[in-house]
Amino acid sequence: MNDPHCARGVPAVTLRDVGYAYVGAGGVTEALAGVSLEIHRGGTVAFVGPSGCGKSTLLKLISGLLNATAGTIAVDGQPVHGPLRNVGMAFQNPVLLPWRTVLDNVLLPLEILRENGDPRAPASDLWRDRAVALLAVVGLKGAERRQPRELSGGMRQRVSLCRALIHQPALLLLDEPFAALDAFTREEMWALYQRLRAEREFTGVLVTHDLREAIFLADTIYVLASHPGRVAHTNRVTLPRPRALAQLYGAEGSELMRIMREQIRPGLESAS
Amino acid sequence: MIGPRARRVVLPLGVFVGLVLVWEAAVIMLGVSPIVLPPPSGVAATMARTAGPIAFHAWHTLLTTLLGFASAVVLGLLLGFAIGGSAVVNDAVYPLLVGFNSIPKAAVVPLLVMWFGIGTVPAVLTAFLLAFFPVAVNVAVGLATLETELRDVLRSLGASRWQVFRKVGVPRTMPLFFASLKVAVSSAFVGSVISETVASNAGIGYLMAVAASDFNTRLAFGGLAVLAAMGVLLYGIFAVIERRMTAWAYAE
Repeated sequence: MNDPHCARGVPAVTLRDVGYAYVGAGGVTEALAGVSLEIHRGGTVAFVGPSGCGKSTLLKLISGLLNATAGTIAVDGQPVHGPLRNVGMAFQNPVLLPWRTVLDNVLLPLEILRENGDPRAPASDLWRDRAVALLAVVGLKGAERRQPRELSGGMRQRVSLCRALIHQPALLLLDEPFAALDAFTREEMWALYQRLRAEREFTGVLVTHDLREAIFLADTIYVLASHPGRVAHTNRVTLPRPRALAQLYGAEGSELMRIMREQIRPGLESAS
Repeated sequence: MIGPRARRVVLPLGVFVGLVLVWEAAVIMLGVSPIVLPPPSGVAATMARTAGPIAFHAWHTLLTTLLGFASAVVLGLLLGFAIGGSAVVNDAVYPLLVGFNSIPKAAVVPLLVMWFGIGTVPAVLTAFLLAFFPVAVNVAVGLATLETELRDVLRSLGASRWQVFRKVGVPRTMPLFFASLKVAVSSAFVGSVISETVASNAGIGYLMAVAASDFNTRLAFGGLAVLAAMGVLLYGIFAVIERRMTAWAYAE
């Protein structure tokens, strides 16, 4: 309990005046500037905003895959200088390994951790049980031996989520994970995320284009603006948990939706 | 009616037999001199009579080809890994490689003969020179087209470059690698026969050069038939290996 990293008071992620600029064909481009925010442990935040506002860059900065060119980022109070190890990631493209079974795809992170002598890798006789249990949570019981190519898009995305969570990361970073799915499957995945969040301890960071998705999943929604990418608005979602789809269309959900649309595209809502 | 699978075997076989029959009939009916164009039956008879020497030379060509091919696979893999794994190596080496590959390799044989003398060594080297390029390029492409998301997933677990290479890069490159083998083995075969034709004392290429200088058209055609059979066989073997090794890449 004396370990400061476990203290409840320390935010899971802290960004102080973070900026990211890169040199491209047209000179120096400022992708992000002056981003300051705190993400609380066990919470889920969402970043929404127009294309090119630096949402995905922000995820890469938090995970340490990119290094901020200004400001500081800390995860569990520790400054981020290179790729973190306690992160799970999932993307719009599930990028499963087609030569591995579903089970072996999910086990990939544990193989890497064990090879690197990471203490978080469980003894290998526990791997299978852990993966099977996790696959059951996402509704893929019995699919362990199947090949990725035999699965539907939604099922692949479930496998991808399992791979992101199998090593019980402190941070789950999701970059438009459900954008390629049909509307019904997407709503199933929202419910699944909510279930996972209730069962496992992780801090979620979500990048999405889908405002409903953001409202359903997040505690805080940051609306980003572009040129340069920055946090323009911060919206708290106070809907009680567990949430139901109907809440999205209730008074609070609808009002939040209206506000955020206005924040992203000023004038558009009042004109229509 | 026959099924589509059987049709794919029966049809080309039928066309082949038909062509041979037309050839035989044309030679007899038009009274073509056997020195210009022997009938298939005559070629077959000569092949049967010289089966021993033909087998010896075919074996020599096969060994030469496989030796050149094997060294091309090893170097092609290493080069492909280096080019596909590092943008710097790619920028530095790839243009040179393309330039080198555009040299007709037959033009290099005289140099090789000058350095290594007439015999097997230039043939192996020519086979190698023709075969390593497709392997290197395919392996490099397989590595270089790794999805950035996958790289991010692995790096966010603390995976080293070497681990990304081993766990993901190599397996996903395998279908391209095995596809390149059947191309490479055919190229190696071409290389060894070219060199044998110009400067050797063994091999089917040599056999054909000697037959041609003796105006032994039947034997020259016999050599050609053996080369065709060997070429098809080598390609076929590696096509089957490709299917076996990377079944996951051929999902319907």
